[in-house]
Amino acid sequence: MSAGPEGVSTERGITTPVVGAVDPILDAIDPDRGRPPHVMETRDLTLGFGAKAILSGVTAPFARGTITALIGPTGSGKTTFLRTLNRMNDKVRGFRREGSVLLDGESIWSTEQDLFTLRRRVGMLFQRPNPFPMSIRDNVVAGVRAHRIAKGKQLDVVAEQRLLEVGLWDAVKDRLGDSPFQLSGGQQQLLCLARALAIGPEVLLLDEPTSALDPVSTEFVEHLLLQMTPALSMVVVTHNLGQARRISHQTMFLYDGNLVEHGPTAQVFEHPVHTHTERYVTGRMG
Amino acid sequence: MAILGGATGAAPPAPPVKAMRRASVARRIAAAGWAHESRIWKIGGWVAASVPLGSLVFILVVLGHKAWPSVVVNGTHFFTGSAWKPGSTYGTTVHTHGFAHPAGSSYGAWPLIAGTLQTSIIAVVLAVPISLGAAFALTERLPGWLSRPLAFAVEILAGIPSVIIGLWGVLTLGPFLAQDVYPVIADHMPDVPVLSYFRNPVGHGEGLLTTGLVLGLMIIPIITATTRDLFLQVPPLPKEGGLALGMTDAEVARRVTLPWVRSGIIGATVLGLGRALGETMAVAMISGAALNTISPNIFGTMGTIAAAIVTQLDSSFTDGTGFATSALAEAAVVLVAITILANALARVVIARSARHGMPVGRGG
Ligand SMILES: Nc1ncnc2c1ncn2[C@@H]1O[C@H](COP(=O)(O)OP(=O)(O)O)[C@@H](O)[C@H]1O
Ligand SMILES: [Mg+2]
Repeated sequence: MSAGPEGVSTERGITTPVVGAVDPILDAIDPDRGRPPHVMETRDLTLGFGAKAILSGVTAPFARGTITALIGPTGSGKTTFLRTLNRMNDKVRGFRREGSVLLDGESIWSTEQDLFTLRRRVGMLFQRPNPFPMSIRDNVVAGVRAHRIAKGKQLDVVAEQRLLEVGLWDAVKDRLGDSPFQLSGGQQQLLCLARALAIGPEVLLLDEPTSALDPVSTEFVEHLLLQMTPALSMVVVTHNLGQARRISHQTMFLYDGNLVEHGPTAQVFEHPVHTHTERYVTGRMG
Repeated sequence: MAILGGATGAAPPAPPVKAMRRASVARRIAAAGWAHESRIWKIGGWVAASVPLGSLVFILVVLGHKAWPSVVVNGTHFFTGSAWKPGSTYGTTVHTHGFAHPAGSSYGAWPLIAGTLQTSIIAVVLAVPISLGAAFALTERLPGWLSRPLAFAVEILAGIPSVIIGLWGVLTLGPFLAQDVYPVIADHMPDVPVLSYFRNPVGHGEGLLTTGLVLGLMIIPIITATTRDLFLQVPPLPKEGGLALGMTDAEVARRVTLPWVRSGIIGATVLGLGRALGETMAVAMISGAALNTISPNIFGTMGTIAAAIVTQLDSSFTDGTGFATSALAEAAVVLVAITILANALARVVIARSARHGMPVGRGG
């Protein structure tokens, strides 16, 4: 691809300015070296259900290793947009789309892309915790099993590692064989996060991941998400403007079927270009 | 606003007694009626709730009473013996342990018990996977314009009288299988243990396998309809979670949807098993209605408890001592016991999977 190492470094510099973006040695061993600076990208994406238009002409790059917040009033199409990025909408009745979505420069609908690999690379965390009806341990490794990434004893290692990563290990290490439905809502959501992380996604899509959680769990999850950059790129739908400010590097504002504003979070909140954005981020819009 | 007054500490003044309007007569009657009515509801509820248990106990007591002479005279021979011998009903009457019965009469129901279990197991083993697949297709695969009429057809199928299916089995399916299907299987089976059970002779289409197949066909609609309703109750979010993780539809079905309703599916299976165990007319027509034969291979004629009861009832009345009827009653008790046992077993299995606290069958 045309994007040189500089491009990558610039993008990654947003999150980790301490990492010497100009250090040639670090640059040489950067696994993302030579990849497009935008891990995902939508081009002129128009979405609708049947005759109903949801979003039109959304062109948005997602910088590698950063968190993008997706904000907008209820019904503005945030969920629809997010679910398009890992093709969860493909089978929804009446769903139609025009334009393209690129992952590492390649269309997610191209015949080269296989759906299951796409979803392994682009994971998803839902608005409400959705554990599977199997033990806590089996939940964590469900995706690992499906993709045959590991088996047997290795699965225990994966489970422990991922549960440690999301800070759930101490709480569940003595009841890995138990039902996940006894856990608190916050713990269940962390379990789902561990499950999503276990298959090593490059991008994680999060649809209001903390809207069903208490403030303490919310803060914990936000902290985790920030820690996961720049190894992981994220798109987070949120109704919580404070959360968007705390954790995101870029913010996209959807309104009335359009992408109204897209830029660095500080800029979108401090100096919005559009009056709609200003009214929304200052709480003067529904 | 008197309530607010109370909040400040000053007790609200009690209303003067005379000022209190007395409730109208109509209201008081209604109130009394309500109290009465709730009592009626309570008693009615208890009565209604005890009807199922009451009738089960009643049936068992009556059957047990009828069966008692056979229980005492036949003893354990009833479960181990292989001959159903009414004796000479016009000959001499003898007494054993105080019970009168025709000379030479003794009843061994082992072939019937074995036949009941064999046919039902074949039916369930056949029906469960097919039903799960059909329910999965109906709920997850087929478009609505196709799945709705199909689901309706499944429910109609569940209601077809068994005598009609039995007639079809004995006139059409049995002969077809015996001529065109069974020989293909039987001719190619090697003569090794287990598989030799599938070797010749194939008979004429009446027998164990045909009965099992027909029973399977009969319980597929029941299990399919029940399972379909269960699948429809599984919330979409966990399934979407599976898809978003890169699972295939089949993996989501196996790892998420199915475990979610596991106890319900066990229940549906037992429902089907119960129907297979007790099915009478179709089995009487297709099995060969044998009394003393355990089929040496999977194609041979045999009998079941239910079929034996319906085919032997008439002739049992010729036994003036009532002993033949008593033996049929004991067979009936055994059938009920097998059904109860199957249900109990299902409960144990469900309890074991519920130990993990899964929202199985509860829809979550
Ligand atoms: N499966 C669907 N079929 C038809 N309309 C839908 C479907 N899903 C969402 N919509 C509609 O699309 C619009 C945007 O919904 P959504 O993306 O969920 O908004 P948001 O997440 O921003 O609240 C809403 O008006 C909603 O009613
Ligand atoms: Mg939404």
